[in-house]
Amino acid sequence: MSAPSPVELDEPVTDDITQLSTPWVTIVWNDPVNLMSYVTFVFQQYFGYARNKAEKLMLEVHHDGRSVVSTGSREEMERDVQAMHEYGLWATMQKADTP
Amino acid sequence: MSGFTRHRKSGAAVTTFTAFEADLLRSLAAQLIELLRNESATEQIASDELEDMLDFTGPTREPEDPVLARLFPTAYPEDEEASAEFRRYTESDLRNGKAAGAAMIIDTLEEAGLPAEPEDGLFIDVELDQATAITWMRSFTDMRLAIATRLGIEEGDEDFWYALPDDDPRAQVHDIYDWVGYLQETLVHALAS
Repeated sequence: MSAPSPVELDEPVTDDITQLSTPWVTIVWNDPVNLMSYVTFVFQQYFGYARNKAEKLMLEVHHDGRSVVSTGSREEMERDVQAMHEYGLWATMQKADTP
Repeated sequence: MSGFTRHRKSGAAVTTFTAFEADLLRSLAAQLIELLRNESATEQIASDELEDMLDFTGPTREPEDPVLARLFPTAYPEDEEASAEFRRYTESDLRNGKAAGAAMIIDTLEEAGLPAEPEDGLFIDVELDQATAITWMRSFTDMRLAIATRLGIEEGDEDFWYALPDDDPRAQVHDIYDWVGYLQETLVHALAS
């Protein structure tokens, strides 16, 4: 293995970088209809999460009313939200730093 | 009444419906398809905005029917414009996908031998591979969301529904809601086991 050769970079413009790198999140909200087993199954099936992680997220939705289930670019989160709607889960998206 | 189990050799999710159950499921799927075609996704609700009237690519507003509003939630709660864009590009596909899922339930039941007018004593065996089972699961979810929204089901209100007299039509609808939930639960377990 070799060390990468240094590359000269332009001084980054902080504002643009911040704008580009601010991640988005997909939030799944609790509803009185969806079964706990089904919600866990969807998180495993769609996101490929291990059963433990899927169950943890499902329990967050159940107890806290909502859970951040994925993080990424705006385009990625739009795909995830659409997929959750396909499965009948109530999902929304927002910037990660939104309270 | 029996739920889904996993077939040991093929791994398929299998169950046997009575004629009554299969017919009921077909009727729920047909109602879902009809609902999804109502209040057409491309219809523009009276608007004076030139831009809106000239845009035929997809809906931008939340559906007025509360069931449809629940099936197609607003993606950006804090951003009306982004939500409208999201809806424009996704809602028609979502509607078509959900209608196709419900149609698959009807097709599977009829291919398994469910006639137009089933007689008592008939049993319908169904066997779902993984992909078909997931489509069924999603459609069960849509049916339950539709029934729950119409009934006004809320978190932790089971006692209210079970206390209703048997002849209350809402009790009968709630029984169907529970039954589809039971099918859903057993189908998830058949697939996950």
